[in-house]
Amino acid sequence: MNKILATIQKEWILLRRDVAGFMLLFLMPAVLIVVMAMVQDAPFKDYQELRFDLLLADNDHGRLAQEIRQGLKQSKNFHVVDSIDGKPLSEEHLQKLLKGGEYRVGIVIPKGATAEVINAANTVANRISEKIGMGKLPAREMRDSMYVRMYFDPVSKPTFRMSISFALDKYITYSCSNVLVGRLSKLGMAEAGETLDTAQTDDFKKIFQGIGIKEEALGDKGNISQFISSVQHNVPAWAIFGMFFIVIPIAGNMLREREERSSLRIQLIPFAHNYVALGKIFFYTLICTAQFAVMCAIGLWVLPQLGLPALYMGLHPFVLVPIAICIALSATAYGYLVGVVFKTATQATPFGAISVVIMSAMGGIWVPVDLLPGVMQQLAKVSPLHWGLDAINHIILRNGNIKDVLPHLAVLLSFSSVLLLISLYANRRMTHSVQ
Amino acid sequence: MAAAIEITDLHKTYNGGWSPALDGLSVQVQEGQIMGLLGPNGAGKSTTINILCGLVTPDKGNAKIFGKDCIADTLALRQMIGVVPQQIAMFSNLTAWENFRYIGKLYGLSDKQTKDRTHDLLLRLGLDKHADKRINRYSGGMKRRANIIASLLHQPSLIILDEPTAGVDVQSRAMILNFLKEYNQQGKTIVYTSHLMEEAELICDEVVIIDEGKFVVRGAPKELINNTTDCKRLEDVFLHYTGHSVRD
Repeated sequence: MNKILATIQKEWILLRRDVAGFMLLFLMPAVLIVVMAMVQDAPFKDYQELRFDLLLADNDHGRLAQEIRQGLKQSKNFHVVDSIDGKPLSEEHLQKLLKGGEYRVGIVIPKGATAEVINAANTVANRISEKIGMGKLPAREMRDSMYVRMYFDPVSKPTFRMSISFALDKYITYSCSNVLVGRLSKLGMAEAGETLDTAQTDDFKKIFQGIGIKEEALGDKGNISQFISSVQHNVPAWAIFGMFFIVIPIAGNMLREREERSSLRIQLIPFAHNYVALGKIFFYTLICTAQFAVMCAIGLWVLPQLGLPALYMGLHPFVLVPIAICIALSATAYGYLVGVVFKTATQATPFGAISVVIMSAMGGIWVPVDLLPGVMQQLAKVSPLHWGLDAINHIILRNGNIKDVLPHLAVLLSFSSVLLLISLYANRRMTHSVQ
Repeated sequence: MAAAIEITDLHKTYNGGWSPALDGLSVQVQEGQIMGLLGPNGAGKSTTINILCGLVTPDKGNAKIFGKDCIADTLALRQMIGVVPQQIAMFSNLTAWENFRYIGKLYGLSDKQTKDRTHDLLLRLGLDKHADKRINRYSGGMKRRANIIASLLHQPSLIILDEPTAGVDVQSRAMILNFLKEYNQQGKTIVYTSHLMEEAELICDEVVIIDEGKFVVRGAPKELINNTTDCKRLEDVFLHYTGHSVRD
């Protein structure tokens, strides 16, 4: 144990003396996290949290238009623009503005849309009343050419178009239902020689709604729920990425020791090599874990200062400690292997850096794994970064506990052990056949 | 006197090597001797040392130190031998004291043992005032002396030095050679390689000249000079046996 502690102490002295290297170990991932969280903030909002201008040309001026407008205005996502310079927006003007690229979406409510909805409601009500022998409301033939038209800026993503379409559909359906309920009520009351007050109409609407929807948190997690956001994704993702970049200092440190021949001294001391290897692994694991803690601190206290939400750590934040240690161990073992296998910094540095970038892309650091194609989702399981990130997501997104992440920890520990054993074996072979 | 080192019929050809590095070398070194292992470049000196340290496995033959096999008992042997490599095998960003403390720990020494031994060796090799300087700020001669100290902390019975005075000034060389003589007087066996024949002549009890991986001649420097025709110095003997052609 003394030998391992002596190695940790020696590595600490060396790192402390390399002030620039020491700072970079923490500074670069910190900058990366801040930049990535800010850059990806908008894409991560994915039109759900984003508020944007929506052009509305109202040629109807009726109840349907009013209810669509009201629905859009109540939504947090839309800012309805229905007039420019005090003039109501026309369809032509709306199209012109969209072509200019200043706006993303425009909606045109055609003239007579409300009349069409009422006519449809009357027709349905009449058909029902025919069956039960009630009165009749005025209705004409249905038109099938009446649409609420949507126009999109061509750069809009399909998901965006779909979300607008769903929102509009919801408002129109809601409006139609209300009209139908109103018409049916009117028929019934007329038959009974009564009139409906507003409270009664609302009551009817409520009854007609049947069953509503309500989102709730999973399991024992109370009412706290967390959506994936730029901060919730980027802080752990780039923290893991930064931790794996420890491969560069570890491999560099080992190659430097080989070049200055201090590694030969270690080889000449009986049994020293294994203790030195473990000492290095423990030391850099501590550094990586400290990196993770600093990155979480940035998510908690720095990002909110930049207008981003604070990192939510889940209901069992202390489970992040063993997760961070296991990720750190994997990163360090990988760095150690690179340091053993490669003979020069020219080989080790690009390989180490690029392989970490590849593993991070595969592991869902850049883009969440759920958004990757099926094959890539399977391939992600090869990357230790994926297991690390998924374990953290269990804690900070799904409010999981230690039991939820045990399989992840097992995978990360297995990965570390295998790499370490390979490194020790490779090192033994290579040092035993010098020259 | 018992044999400290017994090398018998050693053969070694490296992968891709066009000629054998060792070709049936057999040598014995007696306990308490200072033995000079001499030879031109590529003669097989470093390979012999690496085999003795257990860093290289011979293709054939065997090497024993104090009766223990250099390959089978490598780990046990490393506690008994101190190797001073040709290169400065130290952590250049650590001070000399930090290096010695770390190396002492790896040898399993207590802090007190390391401190006492380091203090003594630093004094004897004139580095006592520079223990807190980083190795990368040492002069060439200081580095060589620190390199020797690092190899002696565990008080080995056999010391193998690979060109310990390469590139050092006259004063440092004199200090190192005097130190080795003193150390040998404590009963330690020393194997020493050098290209500087006057050095070997000065401190070695015996020298072995090897060339192209083979044993050439062995004897006390004065004896070899006297017994070889037209030779007044060890360098003449060396050239007599190894020839004047330049080695690559």
